[in-house]
Amino acid sequence: MKSTHIVWSLPPPIWPLLCVLISLAAATPSRATPANKKALATHLDSFLPAKLNQCTTCHLPSDKKAPALLDEFPHNPFGDRLRKVAAELEAAGKRPDLASRLAVIASEDSDGDGVDNFTELLLGTGPGDAKETPKKSDLAKAARLRTDFAKAQSVYRWRPFEPVQRPAPPKMATAASTKWARNPIDTFVAAEHERLKLKPRPEAPKEVLLRRVHLDLTGLAPTPDELDAFLKDTSPDAYEKVVDRLLADARHGERWGRHWMDVWRYSDWSGWNDQYRDSTPHIWRWRDWIVESLNSDKGYDRMVIEMLAGDELAPEDENALRATGFLVRNYKRYSREKWLEDTLAHTGKAFLGLTIGCAKCHNHMTDPIAQREYYQIRAIFEPHDVRFDRLPGEPDAMKAGLARIYDAKPAAVTHLLQRGDEHRPLTNAPIAPGALALLGGTFKVEPVTLPRLATQPDKREFVLKETRAASEKAVTDAQAALTKLKPEASANDRAEAELLLDLAKLRQQSTDLVLRLESLEDDGKKTTADWTKLATEANSIQRQIAAAEARQKLLPLKKAEADTQTKHDTAAKGTDKAAQDKVSKELDAAKKKTVEAEKVLAVVMKELAAPATNTFKPRVITSHPATSTGRRLAFAKWVANRENPLAARVAMNHIWLRHFSAAIVPSVDDFGANGRAPTHPQLLDWLAAEFMARDWSMKAMHRLIVTSTTYRMASTPDVANAKIDPDNRFLWRMSSRRLEAEAVRDNLLFVSGQLDMTRGGLEIDNKLGLTSRRRSLYLRTAAEKEVEFLQIFDSANVGECYERKQTVKPQQALALANSELAINQARALAKDLAAATAPDAFIRAAYRRTLAREPRPDEISICREFLKKAEPVDTKTTPAATAIQIQRARENLALVLLNHNDFVTVR
Amino acid sequence: MNSLNHPRCTGVSRRTFLADTGMGFTGLALGALLFKDGVARGEAPTTFNPPDGKPHFTPKAKSVIWIFLGGGVSHVESFDVKPELTKYAGKSIDDTPYKDVMDPKKLRITEANPAHGGRKTIMGLNTGYKPYGQSGLVVGDWFKHIGECADDLAVVRSLWTAHNDHGAQLTWHTGRHPRDGGLPTIGSWISYGLGTLNENLPEFVVLGQPTNECCGGTWTFGASHLGPEHSGVRLGTDPKNPLPFITPAGNALTLAEQRENLSLLGKLNQLAGIEYPDDKDLRARIKSYELAFQMQTAVPETVELDKESAETKSLYGLDQANTKPFGEQCLVARRLVERGVRFVQLFHGSNSGGGAWDAHGGIKSNHTKLAAEVDKPIAGLLKDLKQRGLLKDTLVVWGTEFGRSPGAQGDGRDHHPQGFCAWLAGGGVKGGITHGVTDELGFHAVENRHYVTDIHATTLHLLGLDSHKLEVPGRKRLDIDHGDVIKEILT
Repeated sequence: MKSTHIVWSLPPPIWPLLCVLISLAAATPSRATPANKKALATHLDSFLPAKLNQCTTCHLPSDKKAPALLDEFPHNPFGDRLRKVAAELEAAGKRPDLASRLAVIASEDSDGDGVDNFTELLLGTGPGDAKETPKKSDLAKAARLRTDFAKAQSVYRWRPFEPVQRPAPPKMATAASTKWARNPIDTFVAAEHERLKLKPRPEAPKEVLLRRVHLDLTGLAPTPDELDAFLKDTSPDAYEKVVDRLLADARHGERWGRHWMDVWRYSDWSGWNDQYRDSTPHIWRWRDWIVESLNSDKGYDRMVIEMLAGDELAPEDENALRATGFLVRNYKRYSREKWLEDTLAHTGKAFLGLTIGCAKCHNHMTDPIAQREYYQIRAIFEPHDVRFDRLPGEPDAMKAGLARIYDAKPAAVTHLLQRGDEHRPLTNAPIAPGALALLGGTFKVEPVTLPRLATQPDKREFVLKETRAASEKAVTDAQAALTKLKPEASANDRAEAELLLDLAKLRQQSTDLVLRLESLEDDGKKTTADWTKLATEANSIQRQIAAAEARQKLLPLKKAEADTQTKHDTAAKGTDKAAQDKVSKELDAAKKKTVEAEKVLAVVMKELAAPATNTFKPRVITSHPATSTGRRLAFAKWVANRENPLAARVAMNHIWLRHFSAAIVPSVDDFGANGRAPTHPQLLDWLAAEFMARDWSMKAMHRLIVTSTTYRMASTPDVANAKIDPDNRFLWRMSSRRLEAEAVRDNLLFVSGQLDMTRGGLEIDNKLGLTSRRRSLYLRTAAEKEVEFLQIFDSANVGECYERKQTVKPQQALALANSELAINQARALAKDLAAATAPDAFIRAAYRRTLAREPRPDEISICREFLKKAEPVDTKTTPAATAIQIQRARENLALVLLNHNDFVTVR
Repeated sequence: MNSLNHPRCTGVSRRTFLADTGMGFTGLALGALLFKDGVARGEAPTTFNPPDGKPHFTPKAKSVIWIFLGGGVSHVESFDVKPELTKYAGKSIDDTPYKDVMDPKKLRITEANPAHGGRKTIMGLNTGYKPYGQSGLVVGDWFKHIGECADDLAVVRSLWTAHNDHGAQLTWHTGRHPRDGGLPTIGSWISYGLGTLNENLPEFVVLGQPTNECCGGTWTFGASHLGPEHSGVRLGTDPKNPLPFITPAGNALTLAEQRENLSLLGKLNQLAGIEYPDDKDLRARIKSYELAFQMQTAVPETVELDKESAETKSLYGLDQANTKPFGEQCLVARRLVERGVRFVQLFHGSNSGGGAWDAHGGIKSNHTKLAAEVDKPIAGLLKDLKQRGLLKDTLVVWGTEFGRSPGAQGDGRDHHPQGFCAWLAGGGVKGGITHGVTDELGFHAVENRHYVTDIHATTLHLLGLDSHKLEVPGRKRLDIDHGDVIKEILT
C-alpha cells in the first residue's frame, strides 16, 4: 500500500522518527508497522501480555540501533506469515485488517515450536520465536483464556476512534421482538430489552403520538384540524404521512435549527453600547442559513464544510459564505487568543466530540492528542479573520452586511505555547497545519486562488450599479433642491444650490469615468489610448471638483464674514467697549478664515488652468489577499468525511438525544476516555453508517427514527421495568420530557393563534421577548442580552450548550402564570374561541387548542364548575356585565390550561 | 391496578404527593377527589416508601447554611496554616526534611495533581496568622474576622478529594465528578429527607451565582433522581425583584383569581397525571405552583433587609462596598433559616471559568481581595446567629473544592486535592477544635483522613438523618458516596 512505499523510500531517518511519521500518515494504517503494533494491542486488549506488546513479536531483533530501512528490521516467521496473509485476503477481496489476518493464522504454528500462534500470543511466548515455548503447566490456562477472549469478543466493543463499520442488526431471540421491530433501530433496542428482560410499552395513543411528533419535528403542537384528520385517517400509513408532511414543513428547519444552534454555539453580538466585542452583528444570516439548509435537507457533511470553509469552497456564493458564521461567532474584540481557543475547543466538541481544547497546555491527559497536534489545528485557523461584505441595497456593510470568514493573514505563523501561555511561544519552531493522527484520514492542504470578486468585493456588479446610481441620485437631489428654492431666496442661497448641483454633476461624471477606467485596468488595458483619454478626462473633471469644493467651502465663510462685519458696525455705534473688542476679534478671525479658503481656491484654480494629465484619484476599495491557504477546507473535508470515525457518530448522537431526550453516548461533547460509555454502541454505529449511506441526509434519519416502534412507545410507567432500569436508559418506554424554552414560548403564541410565522431576518431585540409574536429563535440571544422568560426555562447558555437541562422550578410557574406573555395569550385564546358559546363547547375547544386532545368527562365537569362559579349570583347584573365576567373566567381557564402540566410536557 | 385508598400503596408519601392535607390549600380537595375516583389508571410504580419527613434520630440542628467558595481556597494560609512553608520558602521540597511527600506511594489519590512534580519550589506564606480565642485556634490573617469566632469552629484539616480539576466543585456537593453526571446534592438529600418547615418558602435555597457549567453548574444544587422538587431554588437578594414575574403583569389578576386558578390547575394536573404516577416532574411542577404562589409574598418579605438594624447591617458589612454583596447573601441566609428554610447554599467566587479563588498566579492579591469580601460577612453571620440563639439549631459549613499547593506556580499556587480543610460551626458541633492533620507542608492529609462526603454524612447526621436509610431502590450508592460521620467533632 502507498504509505508503506513512502516509508521504504525514506532517506535514513532514525527508527523512532519513522514510527512517528507512520502514525501521522495514518490514512492507510492497517499495515503500517507501528499501527500494526497498536492494532494488535487493540485487538487483544487486556489479553495481550505486556512482553508481547513490542516490535519483536513480529520482527527479528535488529542489531542496528537505528535501522533506516525495514529490510534492516525483517519479520520473524510469525510476522512474515501475518504479512503474507494480508495479500491473500486482499486478493480474495476481503479486508486485510489485523483481526481477520490473525483469525487465519491463529491455529497455525509459525515458528514450528509445537504450540499454535494464538496460544502463544495469549500465554506471552513469542509466536515467531521457536526458542520461546509456554510451560506445560500454562497450557491448561490457555484454554480458559481462549474462552474468556471469545466471550470478550462477543461483547460489542465501542471503538469511537476507529472508522465506522456497519454492524448487522441483531437477530431477535423471541417472536415478540421480531414482531415488535419495525426497522433496524428497533432490533438493536429490542436486543437490549431481551437481554435485560424489559417489556417495551405499547404504542402511544394516537393523539399522544401526534402531539409528540409535531412538537419534535416542528416545535409546534398539532391544531384541532390536524388532530381530527389524523384520528380519522385509519390507513396503515396514516402516521408516516404525518411524518412526511412535518418534515416537508418549513417550520421543521426552525425547530431543528434551534437545536443545532445550541451545538454550534449560536450567539448574536454582545458588547459595550454599539461596540461589538463577542460575536458580531449580522450573524443572524448564519442562523437563516442553518434553517434553510435543514429545510432543503443539505447533507450534514456539506453543512460542516461550509461552516468551516465556505469561503474557500464557494468564494463567491453569498449563501455559503453565511455558513462561516460558525467561526465568526467566536470573534473576540479584545483577545485573539481566547478567540482561537474557543474556535478550537468548540470545533472539537461540536463536530468530533473531542475535548481537544485540553491539549492547549499539555498533552491530553486521557485521549491520545498531543499538545503539538493542538497547535497543528491552531495553524489551520491562524490566518482567518472576520470581515463584513457589502450586500445589495445598503452601501454600509456595518449597517447591513454579511459577516464572514476569510484568510486575512495567509502567512500567519503558529508556535507552540508552553503550558498554553501566550507569552511563552516556542518561536524557533513554527508549526505546520495538520489534523489529528488519532482519527486517521487524509488531510491535504491545497491553496485556493480566489476569484477577483471575492478579493475585491467592491467590484461586484451590484456595487458598481449602486455606486453609479448613487452618484446619479445625488444629481437629481441637487436639481430638486434648486428647483424647490423659493423665488425670494437670497442670492447667496441660490448660488450655493447652483454650486451644489454643479458639484453633484461633476462627481457623477468622475464616478462614471473612474469606474470605466477601473474596468479597463482590470481587463489589462491600462495605458491604452482609450485609457489615456478617459484618464485625462477624469483628471480634468476631478480638478473641477476640487475647484467647486473650494468654492463651496468659501461661500459660507464669506457670508459669516459679512454677518460679523454688520455686527461689528452696529457695535461700533454703541459705547460698550468690551463688546466692541469681542466683535473685533471675531471679525479678524472670520476674515482670516476667508483668506485661507481663498488661498486654497487660488491653488486649485491654478491647477485647473494647467493642462490636464492622466493622473486621477481611483475609487477607494479594499483588496483582500488573492489566495486563501486552503487549510480550513482541508480540515473540513477531513472532518466531514466517511473515514472520520467521529463525525457521523457525534452528529447522530446529537440527533438521537433530541428525539429521545437521552443520548446514546451521554457525554455528547466527549467521546474520549473521559466521556461516558454508550448505552447502545452498536445502534450508534449502525445509525452513523446509515447516515453516511444516506448521503448524510438528516431528514432521512429523522424519518427512520420517528417511524420506529421505539419512538412510538407510550411513556406510561411499568413497575417491573422500572426495577430493572429506573432511568429508562434502555428505552422500554418513551421518556416524558419538558418542552425546551423556545417551544414553551412558541406554543403559548401558537395555540392562542398569535404566532407570527414570518421566517428569518434580523434578530429581534431581546427586550421584546414578552411582546414580540415571532418564533423564539429569532429573538436576540447573546451574553447579557437574553430573554429572561426563556432563561427561566433553561434556554441555551450561549457560551456552551451541548445538551439542555430540564429543570422544574417555581420561577417557571411564576413566568407562566404571571407574565404579560402568558396572560395576553390566554386573553387572545379566550377571544378566539368566543364562537363556542356553551361552556362545554368552550372547554372542549380550549383543551383541543392547548393540549391537542379531548378533555375527559371529569375534566369537563371540573372546568364547568370553575366557569359557573364566575357567573354572577345577583340576578340584577346587567347582561353586559355578566358577559364580561364570563369572558374573564374563560380567560382564566385558558390561562390555567396554558399552565397545565401537559402543556409544557411531551408524553 | 392499585387502590388509592391508602397513600402508602401508591408509593407516594404524605410529603411528596400533594393529594393530602399536609401542604397547600388545594391539597385536601384533591385528596378527596382522587379517593373518590378510587383508581389510578396508570400502574403505581413501586411499593417503596420515600421518607416521611421525620428524622431517623434526634437531630441537633434544624437548618444548614452551606458556604461554598469556588476555585480552591489556600488551606495553608487560612485554617491550616503551615509556618514551615515560610521557613523553607524558595527551597525545593526535595531539599527539605519533608521530601518524602513526593513519594509516589503517597500520591494515593487517583487524580492527584500531576503538575505537582513541577511545583516543588516551596512558596512561603503570603499572610500572617495568629491564635484566636480561648482555644488558641490558629487562623490566617486573611480571615481575621472569622478568627474572632474561632471558639465556635470545628476545623477539619484532613480532607481530600478525588479530582484535580474544578469538576471537584461538583464533587464537594455530590461526592462525584461531573463526568459521572448529576447526582443528588447534599442540599437535595436534606430536602428529600426532611422536607420543609415553612410552606411559603422552598426548603432548599441558593444564593449567589452558582458555579460555572464546566464544573457542575446547576448540578451543584440539583437533585437528580430524587426529583426536581428537591433541587435548590435560586433567589436574588433585591427585594424589588428577588424573582422575575413575582406578581401578575399589570395586576391583571386578583389574589382571589390567582387562588382559584391555582386550585383548578392542581385538580386538572392531578387528573391528567393519573396515568403517570411515577412522574417526578409532575409532582415537582404541582409543588412548584403551590410554592410560587406562596413565594409571591414570602420572598420579598424575606429579602427585605431595610428593617434590619444599622448594627446588624454593619455586622455583615453591608455598609462597605466590597463586603456588601456577600454580606447581603449572609444576612438573607439568616432570615431564611429563621423562617424555617432547611438548606441555604451560598456561592462566592463563581465566574466564567474555574472560580475566582483559583489563584494560579498572584495569590497574594487574589486572596487578599476575595477574603476581604467574605470574611466579615461570614463572621457577622456566625455572631448574629449566636446572639439570636439560632446558632445552636443552625449548622454552618464553610468549604471549597480543594486546597492550594505548597509549591509555587509562579506567584500563585496550583490545585491541591491531597489535603485541604473546611470548617463547621453551630448545631451539634464542638467549638474551637481542629480535627485531622496534614503533614508539615500541608501536602497530604495524614491523620484522620476524610473524603468530602464525610462532611455530607456529618451534616446529615446533625440533622438526624442516616444517609443509608435514605437509599432509593435501584440507586445503589457506594460507601464512599455515603461517607462517614466525623464523630470526633460532634458535641
